[in-house]
Amino acid sequence: MTMPTKIPEFIWGRKYPKIAIDMEKCTVPFLCKKCLQICPEGVFHVTRVMSKEKRLEEMDPRIDGNYVLFATRRDKCTGCNLCIDVCPVDAIKIEIPAMERLRPDVSGEQWTSQ
Amino acid sequence: MCFMCEQFGDPEHGDGIWYLNPRNYARNMYKLRAPGEGFKGAEVGLETGARAGPSHQDLMNAVENNDKAEFERIREILQKTGQGSMVVPRDDADRVLELCSPIALMSCICRKGIRAIDERNEREYTCMGMGVGMLKWERWPERYKGGVKFVNADEAIEWNHEMDDRGFVHILMLFGAPFIGGFCQCDYPDCGSLRNGVDFGLGVLKSHYLAQVDYEQCNGCGICAQRCQWGALKFETTTGKANIDQFKCFGCGLCHTACPREAISLVRRDTVPAVAEVWL
Repeated sequence: MTMPTKIPEFIWGRKYPKIAIDMEKCTVPFLCKKCLQICPEGVFHVTRVMSKEKRLEEMDPRIDGNYVLFATRRDKCTGCNLCIDVCPVDAIKIEIPAMERLRPDVSGEQWTSQ
Repeated sequence: MCFMCEQFGDPEHGDGIWYLNPRNYARNMYKLRAPGEGFKGAEVGLETGARAGPSHQDLMNAVENNDKAEFERIREILQKTGQGSMVVPRDDADRVLELCSPIALMSCICRKGIRAIDERNEREYTCMGMGVGMLKWERWPERYKGGVKFVNADEAIEWNHEMDDRGFVHILMLFGAPFIGGFCQCDYPDCGSLRNGVDFGLGVLKSHYLAQVDYEQCNGCGICAQRCQWGALKFETTTGKANIDQFKCFGCGLCHTACPREAISLVRRDTVPAVAEVWL
């Protein structure tokens, strides 16, 4: 099956922000949930640790290390640093790549960095 | 005509609309997993609930690497496996709920992941599982913490209207097209499916309808303007009335159900030629 689609206008080749989360410090993200709820773009994602043995078990989010935090949608991160300010254990580091000024490429259809 | 209806509709049921064809709720979503093997993944195509295939992470990497060919390849795989969803207005959703059994309310996995919202009882549930898959829910205790609540059609419709009042978009979830396995109440950015659709142009199909404003009736109260999730409806300052961009409208009908003066109507998408084939 092919679904007819429209491609959104991406800026090809741009680098997205890199978000590092220190697992040693961030141990109970599902209970803390401060960064998850403050992020305007909903960048973070919390999920349980996936392992084959525990696949069919219920895991208690109150126990250290059962749930982990990921920056799944880092393409939407704006670098506003709200999550860094709110984090009680200082576990989040954001590295914003150098942003180039964008201008319209008159020969093509989309915006490019030049 | 809708390309999904062409392939999966049945003229004898629901005017040929694919999601009103009872067959699409009856397929066993697990049957194509070979005994002793895991999910085969995307290469199998439509035949699997491909969970092992590529994800939006791979799409992001392709954008970063400036690799349009790779991006198209991944997008094609994701589409081929039918891991999509379709927006339906409230009243069509009611017809679906009358059609499908069993149906069960459950917690939303997207809100749990993105906002850490734990829905633990039947008053909080915002998601619905449909079809034979729900009979196996106990096999995944982590997914269905707190259990599920099996409901009948009347309870489900009441719940659906309640969710519509809260302002959620109604979405039918495909688990390998055309099998419909879920009915979600979504909003951006909490919903993973909507995010893939809006951010990457992937997966979310627009509904069979479009919202249109009757300018004679509209008094510019602005109630509808808060409900649009798609950036299609805005309050047009010049005329002092609501304005809907027909190319952006997903036809979810939230503005239609909210309007106190019945100034916004839903028309069939195929009656508007320029957007009749705009599904994404």
